[in-house]
Amino acid sequence: EVPPSCTRGCEVCSEYNGCLKCMPKLFILLERSDIRQIGVCLASCPVGYFGVRNPDMNKCNKCKIENCEACFSRNFCTKCKEGLYSHRGRCYLSCPEGLSPTNGTTECAS
Amino acid sequence: TAGPGQPGPAACASWCRCDGDGRADCSGRGLAGVPERLSAFTYYLDISMNNITELPANVFKNLTYLEELRLAGNDLTFIHPEALSGLHQLKVLMLQNNQLKTVPSQALRGLHALQSLRLDANHITEVPEDSFEGLQQLRHLWLDDNNLAEVPMGPLGDLGSLQALTLALNRITRIPDHAFANFSSLVVLHLHNNKIKEIGRNSFNGLDNLETLDLNFNNLETFPEAVQALPKLKELGFHSNNIAVIPERAFQNNPLLRTIHLYDNPLSIVGVSAFQNLSDLHSLMLRGASKTELFPSLAGAASLESLTLTGTQIGAIPSWLCEDLHSLRTLDLSYNEIKELPGFQGCFQLEELNLQHNHIQLIHRDTFQGLASLHILDLSRNEITSIHQDAFSSLTSLTNLDLSSNHFSSLPTAGLSSLNQLKLAGNLEMKGPLAPRHFPRLRTISLPYAYQCCAFTGCESVLSATAEDEGKTGVSINADSAEEEERIPLPLHCSPSPGAFKPCEYLLGSWMIRLT
Repeated sequence: EVPPSCTRGCEVCSEYNGCLKCMPKLFILLERSDIRQIGVCLASCPVGYFGVRNPDMNKCNKCKIENCEACFSRNFCTKCKEGLYSHRGRCYLSCPEGLSPTNGTTECAS
Repeated sequence: TAGPGQPGPAACASWCRCDGDGRADCSGRGLAGVPERLSAFTYYLDISMNNITELPANVFKNLTYLEELRLAGNDLTFIHPEALSGLHQLKVLMLQNNQLKTVPSQALRGLHALQSLRLDANHITEVPEDSFEGLQQLRHLWLDDNNLAEVPMGPLGDLGSLQALTLALNRITRIPDHAFANFSSLVVLHLHNNKIKEIGRNSFNGLDNLETLDLNFNNLETFPEAVQALPKLKELGFHSNNIAVIPERAFQNNPLLRTIHLYDNPLSIVGVSAFQNLSDLHSLMLRGASKTELFPSLAGAASLESLTLTGTQIGAIPSWLCEDLHSLRTLDLSYNEIKELPGFQGCFQLEELNLQHNHIQLIHRDTFQGLASLHILDLSRNEITSIHQDAFSSLTSLTNLDLSSNHFSSLPTAGLSSLNQLKLAGNLEMKGPLAPRHFPRLRTISLPYAYQCCAFTGCESVLSATAEDEGKTGVSINADSAEEEERIPLPLHCSPSPGAFKPCEYLLGSWMIRLT
């Protein structure tokens, strides 16, 4: 019986910090709740985060790329914020020099 | 009533939360199938974390506006070849965390607009040859955390537009030559946590735009020379492997490298020219290359901010070190065989310098000249017999100085007024007292002898004793009543602290007892 404070997919739950360890293959996301961090188990990380898989733990890490909504890894964006252009995993206000948006998309290409 | 996936009158299935703008969230509802009565204009559908085991044919037939479909965290074992038909606008398909044993190649065939495909965390052992046929727009593919024993070269060959690929956490043992030949657009390639022992000389040919390559946590025994085919590489990781040698000119074709992670390898030899001309290199950590005798050339490494080179047989630091490395902030050269120090003038941004556990004997006047940003200096466990009186004079920001376990008899104090931690323990030749007034901000001090702490920790009769001592050691101490007021009011920890058997005064008039 998983205490109410833990979402589905939790393996080790604590009353104070939510989930401490998720079921295999799920990602743990640390959410802030006033001064506490609450562990939540997810199959995919929320907007602004990407999943890092390791043999012992899978974790949601923050995208560190400017103007990025969804990322593949720390330095590769898969979806830029509305109205921005993307090129090789980065987001731009306008396409870098020498590049232009391809057939009506927001992806820049030479 | 509408069947599964059949459009309803712009309604929302009872299990779901719909925002009225085409987004439906039906995640975590314990559903065994795709909810019914979804709006025909749904473009985002999240049915992850339910109990769906199969996707029947045409289950999304009339959701032709769907762009993102999330099916992660179900128990999918089978996807009917016609399950995804009609989804011509689909860009993102998330199938991670399911029970698939093979790539559902027929079901994927018609998804011509698909850009992101997640198949990670399934049980995929087989990738049929036609798995990705028709997916010309695919940019991002996750196949990590599955059971692949080799790189699925054939199927991947159809993905000329791919930019990001992860094959991490599988059971891949080798990377054949030309494994990624068609991937001129690939930017990120993750292969970490496999069992890769062998990488062909031409394995990475064709990856003209690769910027990040992650080979960490594998079984590589030789340096992957194939990286020389990667002109745009910025980040390379091969830590936690079994590599003993970094060859000469190892990174000669990777001029844009910023980060190289190579720790946790049984390194023994590092080629002198291995790291030359890496003008964007940001940090370099080389530990325990035990048979390395010459300092690797870092010519051109103008962006290097952190250098760790420890546990080698290197006996000297080249004089050019600071001519090239003017961005250096932390330098750790501990546990080598260094006997003589050059001047570090050019490293004017240096904040931390660790030279612990070498064979340094002399500290010259200009050794640390100009290091106004230096906070931490560790010279412990060397053989220092003499320190020039002005050696520390320009270290105006120094807060931590560790000189413990050396052989000098007196400490020059010019320039040490900013110290809050000073370690001198283990310098048995240093018998004279120190004057607290040279260290107004001191918090922690360790000294060779307990009686030397008396001047710092306020033993009542200290003044008379220390006044008498001045004659013997020649170290300037002001022992008149003014000293009483100058004593440092702030909490200060001095060790070894004096006590019954380590008194501040004489014990039976004998110096010898006091010195023990």
